[in-house]
Amino acid sequence: MSAHLADLRLSRFDPLERVIFYDDFDEGIRGWSELIGNYEHTLDSMLPEYSDMRPPMLSNLTMWDTGTAGSMEGDYALKLASRARAGSLATSIKRLTFRKRGHIQLECYFTFKPEASELRLSVNDVRAFGLLFDLQDGMNPEYRWMPHLRYHNAQDGQMINRWQVKGATRAFANIGDSGETVSHFHLGPENWEYLDAPAQTLAYNEIATKMNWHYLKVNVDLAERRFLGFQCNDLIYEGEPLKYISIPAMPNLNCMLNTAFWVETNRDKRAFLYLDSVLLSGEF
Amino acid sequence: MAVRRSYTATVERNVRWAGEFATEPYEAAWASEAIFFVRALDVAPGFSGTAVVQISADGIHWADEGASFDLPTTKDQATFCKVSHFGGWLRIRGALPGSESITVLVSLALKE
Repeated sequence: MSAHLADLRLSRFDPLERVIFYDDFDEGIRGWSELIGNYEHTLDSMLPEYSDMRPPMLSNLTMWDTGTAGSMEGDYALKLASRARAGSLATSIKRLTFRKRGHIQLECYFTFKPEASELRLSVNDVRAFGLLFDLQDGMNPEYRWMPHLRYHNAQDGQMINRWQVKGATRAFANIGDSGETVSHFHLGPENWEYLDAPAQTLAYNEIATKMNWHYLKVNVDLAERRFLGFQCNDLIYEGEPLKYISIPAMPNLNCMLNTAFWVETNRDKRAFLYLDSVLLSGEF
Repeated sequence: MAVRRSYTATVERNVRWAGEFATEPYEAAWASEAIFFVRALDVAPGFSGTAVVQISADGIHWADEGASFDLPTTKDQATFCKVSHFGGWLRIRGALPGSESITVLVSLALKE
């Protein structure tokens, strides 16, 4: 039996050979910060889409009707909260570098809900959530590449319940006047493509104050720059490698291994994404 | 040695307040003390305004905590308000009269 199966905290994961990080948010915020756009001289120079991506917080999932639920294992989860404005995103990122271009795997337990500010079903109030990697080769880099995986929950009044990837970003914009800083926004509504996978209805559980935790696993090969597949609960995608954003390598990003989560609201109501724990493992 | 956990959230950044304003709800049940810092990024001469601290059991329904403080009156000045024993959620709110406005960066410094 693998050693991790005997560890009560790790036995619910299937890590690769070595754990790069394991974040249980009962222990704090663990390096997850708000994503921000690049700027020069003034915050006004930032691309407006990046100006307000909201700070993460530690939540014990307290509801107005039933009190505190706590997280899946323990008391606290990492919470991303959008503003109460349709289309608002909250995005949190953890920034690392890698030491070997091998296979990496991210696993997490998550749940998502709209703010429980109305006494109605609210099942289509969250538009989407997702996770992305922001990666660049190491020595003599050729590419920066960004696998994105998005669960499109609903659009306007329609349930969608399908997984998406993104193969193209917006054009780069110059930031400031020095010629040294650029920026591109890659979380806009354009260029998402539905996967050749069935719709997946994630348990919502009838009212906005009941959360069920879900499992997600995503696999990426840094050596071959392949976005290999993913698993969410009992849906396993192991088809053709998935599309991702690819751009020429940038000057100061070598070996970058960033992981980010985001949540988008569909209405003028806050959308929340909760992460009980996140585990990144790899072969190195 | 175990150290006390702490975290500073930038709850508003480069946001212009005019009329009624409130920061986004922030969960801080793990913390026992907090300081709201408000720094003026842009403010007109002669500005004056105040904010009050609010607490909430659910992040939806809010009550005045009792503390209030002056907002900064010159660019890059910071003012602050200390809070403790606040339960689960924190925010600050206020109302600026007439054509008064201020552009702010609000930090919420939390500690176990």
